[in-house]
Amino acid sequence: MADPGLAIDFALAGVAVGSAAALSGVGLVVCYRLTGVLNLAQGGIAVFIAYLLRELVVVRGWPVGWGAVLCLLVVAPGLGVLLQLAVFGPLQRRQAAIGEVVVACVGVLVLLIGAVAAIWGTTPLTDVPSLVPARTVTLPGGHLLRVDAVAQLGTVLVIAVALWAIGRWTGFGVRARAVSADPTLAELAGVNAGRVAAAGWAFGSFTAGLVGVLLAPLVLLDPYGLPLLVMETLAVAVAARLQSLPIAVAVGLALGIGQSELTWLHPGGTLGPLLDAVQSNLFAVALLVAALVPWGFVEGFTEQGLLGGGGVPQLGRRRGGDAGWGSSWGWGWATAVCALALLTPLALRAGGVRAVLTVPALALILLSVVLVTGGGGLVSLGQGAFAGLGALAAALLASGRVPVGAALVVTVLGLATAGLLIGRPVVHRRGLVLALVTFALAVGLSRFVFEQPYATAGLTVLRPVFLRGDHAFYAAELAVLAVGALLVAAVRRGRLGRALVAMRDHEAGAWAAGVAVPRVKLLVFGLGAGLAGAGGVLLALGGEAFDASVFDPVQGLLWFAAVVVAGVDSAVGAVLAAFALVGLDAATVPGMSAVVVGALAAGAGRLPGGLAGRVRRAVPG
Amino acid sequence: MSGERTGAGLLAGRGVLRRLGGVPVVDRVDLAVRPGRVTALVGPNGAGKSVLLDCLSGLARPDGGRILLDDRDITRAPCHRRARLGVARTFQQVAVFPELTVAENVQVGAEQQRPSRPGGAALRARLTAPPAVAVRQRVAGALRLLGLTPLADRPAGDLPLGVLRLVELARALAGAPRVLLVDEVSVGLDAGQVAWVARVLALVAREGAGVLLVEHDLGLVSRLAETAYVLDGGRVVATGPIERVLADQRVRRLW
Repeated sequence: MADPGLAIDFALAGVAVGSAAALSGVGLVVCYRLTGVLNLAQGGIAVFIAYLLRELVVVRGWPVGWGAVLCLLVVAPGLGVLLQLAVFGPLQRRQAAIGEVVVACVGVLVLLIGAVAAIWGTTPLTDVPSLVPARTVTLPGGHLLRVDAVAQLGTVLVIAVALWAIGRWTGFGVRARAVSADPTLAELAGVNAGRVAAAGWAFGSFTAGLVGVLLAPLVLLDPYGLPLLVMETLAVAVAARLQSLPIAVAVGLALGIGQSELTWLHPGGTLGPLLDAVQSNLFAVALLVAALVPWGFVEGFTEQGLLGGGGVPQLGRRRGGDAGWGSSWGWGWATAVCALALLTPLALRAGGVRAVLTVPALALILLSVVLVTGGGGLVSLGQGAFAGLGALAAALLASGRVPVGAALVVTVLGLATAGLLIGRPVVHRRGLVLALVTFALAVGLSRFVFEQPYATAGLTVLRPVFLRGDHAFYAAELAVLAVGALLVAAVRRGRLGRALVAMRDHEAGAWAAGVAVPRVKLLVFGLGAGLAGAGGVLLALGGEAFDASVFDPVQGLLWFAAVVVAGVDSAVGAVLAAFALVGLDAATVPGMSAVVVGALAAGAGRLPGGLAGRVRRAVPG
Repeated sequence: MSGERTGAGLLAGRGVLRRLGGVPVVDRVDLAVRPGRVTALVGPNGAGKSVLLDCLSGLARPDGGRILLDDRDITRAPCHRRARLGVARTFQQVAVFPELTVAENVQVGAEQQRPSRPGGAALRARLTAPPAVAVRQRVAGALRLLGLTPLADRPAGDLPLGVLRLVELARALAGAPRVLLVDEVSVGLDAGQVAWVARVLALVAREGAGVLLVEHDLGLVSRLAETAYVLDGGRVVATGPIERVLADQRVRRLW
């Protein structure tokens, strides 16, 4: 362990991952500075390009070089320009709130992942082509150096230097720096900010594709694993505060090398498995830390200052009178239709009930998004993680032979408490930072709890005898969902609901009117955690198992996008989204629900209020 | 009688200092809002009036000095707690909640009055908290006072700026404030509405509350206020009875 030579070997081995992470960070920073958007869709672009390259090279027999040229220099930049023209340009022109931009990004991500799953299937693939063959040369002193790692490191450095040179000495660079400093002022000075943003997206997509192609051979290629891996490298850009290229490169390389170095620290004892988890998920840890450390002032964020404003998302906001939060229920008919749709399976035979057994549970989780995001205006991407904790708690309690009703109550109360505790350092964050922090929490919980044998091994979930039948269990699920919906309705109609709307509409005004903004945010976050936890309990009981893949963070993003699309301001939206998520995949191919939800979410900026809102407005009364 | 003797004030700032980017925009200001009076705060654009108001209401924390309410130090109390203690304000950029109706906007101001003190006091406060009936009466009263009753069920987002100023004022009054900080209330109002607001503010002061009026309309100021502070470049350059301050040559030069 004390051999310094070994440390050098591990450092050289870490360069491959480190340079890919550095590249990802450079792409994110450049894209953010030219477009004002943090490219949360990066993982989707990466996985799409990686699959496309494999299709061309392995299935169609193209040479790797030509396939790479087409994928990385034509398709990826083209995709970026398309995103600017179709999705982000329109949002920018009407100065959409940060929440809408986050939703559009998540939509693009989910759409691309869904497309990959629908086209190429979900079976993990091992025959992924490498851009540079993994040859090794022996250095003087006996150290092994991988040629591909050197090539990657070289690429990163060349790109970073080229970017600096372009920014310094070309006319485009000057215009781009002007846009990066102040888009409005640059436009007034005659710079076409749209064209600069298109270039930013083209470059961001190119680096995303390159990162995907570089990382794919190092892991099993499947539609969900690679995007999450790429999204964990958000840590690099976040650590660079979306501004500094040198910091991004340095942090990326440091994390890659650090991760590699940690592999030779193999401690025994009880802490061993935990440290192993830290080692294999160092990027997740870094993301959590980088997002949680206060951001200070970063251009485009309103992290600091009470009067910042503008960072509060105004999803589905309409100007009053439209059965929004706080108004009376002008939509009894929609509730009735939803109730009918939920009750219908009770009349079906056992197989029919089994197919929709997850719908009420999922609706409950989505209801928590309705409460937290629709009601509280908090863009929380971590509700799926709370559901996962609920499922895990249910499994633990069930394994300990705790009666199911008691387990449900204990879990919900426990999670509400956990939500209050976790929410304390989190809820005062705004907009994009809040989205990042909650996503990082979801990644952390998934990597360190749900996927770890020390937390989930040997759990058995058995429904009690009286809920063994699917009909009985479905009816019980409906009862819990009804309680959740009534809770949300009570919140929305009461003092808390008015305070929430006030807070979303004008935060400084709400403070001045005496609304205890921090406490209200925390309360709604805790309630949301409890609701999501209840949904998780039902999912675990329904499937009679704890399945970590259900609570994958990317899955959580899909859920978030689905409920935003269906209508984040009403319980109807949650039920609609749950049916769509379960039904679309069952009726067609897995991934179809993600494609539909993603496409709608990417265009959500043009559909305020979601589908439910649109339909509701179309129906008179 | 000079305003510097802050002990007599209901809400008082002592040596209030607030910097933005290192530059003091409110520079060691002493100011007192007396009960039962309208006090004016005037000065050219950029003099620091709104920032001073933010410091008094708790939206901004001063970099130096103290804010007192009844001689009790509230410098570190957050904005919502000050609101619950009876410090209400309106904004220069009108702050209403467009998704709520006019009545609901006012109700948000009325129903937050629950002083949060620890222990038995909190329980007693909860038991004596404004019951729904009292809140409804207070909302109805505030709406009536500003002539908004016919618009009570209209969504605020649909209404013109002048009406929104009245809604905001009604919300501030519904909390039964002891101190009312009013920022540029006349902007966007027609002459009739200005006269109405002037009557309401005079009434609020007559009933014992202190009013601090930040205003460009010197006609409105001289009609309502007894005392004035003139702020320029973050400092108080003149203070005293309103006629004397407005007649002061140094002050006249500022306009």
